[in-house]
Amino acid sequence: MFGSFLRASQVKSPWLLHFDCGSCNGCDIETLACLTPVYDVERFGVINVGNPRHADVLVVTGTVNPRNAAVLKNLYDQMPTPKLVIAVGACGCSGGVFREAPNVLGGIDKVIPVDVYVPGCPAKPEAIMDAVVTGLGKLKAILEASK
Amino acid sequence: MNLNTFLLALAGLVLAPLLGGLAAGVDRVVTARLQSRLGPPLLQPFFDVGKLMSKAIAPASHWQGLFVRWALAASLASDVLLAAGGDVLMCFFVQAASASFVALGAFCGSSPYSKLGAQRELFQLLAYEPVFLVAILCMAKAAGGFDAFSIMAAQGPLLLRLPLVVPGLVFVVLVKLRKSPFDIAASHHMHQEVVRGVYTDYAGRDFALLELAHWADVTVVLWICSFLWATGPLQMLATGLAFLFAALIIDNISARLTWRTMLKRTAPLTLILATANLVWLYLE
Repeated sequence: MFGSFLRASQVKSPWLLHFDCGSCNGCDIETLACLTPVYDVERFGVINVGNPRHADVLVVTGTVNPRNAAVLKNLYDQMPTPKLVIAVGACGCSGGVFREAPNVLGGIDKVIPVDVYVPGCPAKPEAIMDAVVTGLGKLKAILEASK
Repeated sequence: MNLNTFLLALAGLVLAPLLGGLAAGVDRVVTARLQSRLGPPLLQPFFDVGKLMSKAIAPASHWQGLFVRWALAASLASDVLLAAGGDVLMCFFVQAASASFVALGAFCGSSPYSKLGAQRELFQLLAYEPVFLVAILCMAKAAGGFDAFSIMAAQGPLLLRLPLVVPGLVFVVLVKLRKSPFDIAASHHMHQEVVRGVYTDYAGRDFALLELAHWADVTVVLWICSFLWATGPLQMLATGLAFLFAALIIDNISARLTWRTMLKRTAPLTLILATANLVWLYLE
């Protein structure tokens, strides 16, 4: 019973770490909008944390370049397992309109493995919330399979 | 020790952290409603702790795990002492030891935010412990004994003889519940580096145990506050809830003060008021 409670807890308490990897702030504003009374993601137990050691889900916006790739990798490595990564916005998914720029490596998946991609420029808060729920669904399936 | 005392102690050991967790759940729901949000389920803090328990992460320092376990043991011991009708003063000292272990564990961390948080935790200890001590002395003097059962068996509500202790106890509750304006070392709701400094390096299972210790602490503090109207179990529950809701309202309507204001203004003022009440009791 205790084991099933722990497994259920893992999908009921997603704490998000939001990292702006070089976004124009459009997707960041939409991500933070999820926390406002209009969307209120805390209904699902979501908390926006500022510490990778406490985070379960890494929400990344913007393109990756050689300078912030190391920071992104560092944040990812500091998070406890199991962890999810969500790439938010066209830039986070693929590099967007900046993908051909000389200093841009591309999307988030060039540096760390991504679980859910959220398209849009900027991505809508509803889509970001849906991505968290989809990610937790994937995590639940993995936990069920490993039981 | 007879069987009744043993059963009471056991009930304190098991129920106190659960009640603290429920108080945390009520806190999150009420805070959300005050901000026009729906908020998480009432049992969300239990899911959070369950999730943290099942996380795998290397500790920042091996000493940290030891200090967390000592903090949890001390917090639970203070609950057991109160439940078994032990000395409230001893309970106070054991609870203070728990808070010191949390700060020591944070000092072991490698992050500068963790060390900063530990220092701010010590400032908080310095500010609220004297006030809390004098408040307990007042209760013991008014009730005629230091053990919990004597205080709970006092004639009439103690509040009528201890009105000047109330601001001090509200201050203690705000600090212990990690609420604005005195969420100096670790804020309950905010999650940035400095305002949650003392928790920076705690993670995974250690952080879950720390949360359990915090719940046990919350129960002890609210329980001691409820001695102010200990004419019956329901009255005590109502008094404890009144302190909890007062803390939630103040948390939502106030901004964070600096540690200097806490240490130089709030702590001396509440200490003077509580001491004046103690002197009044002696002169009576």
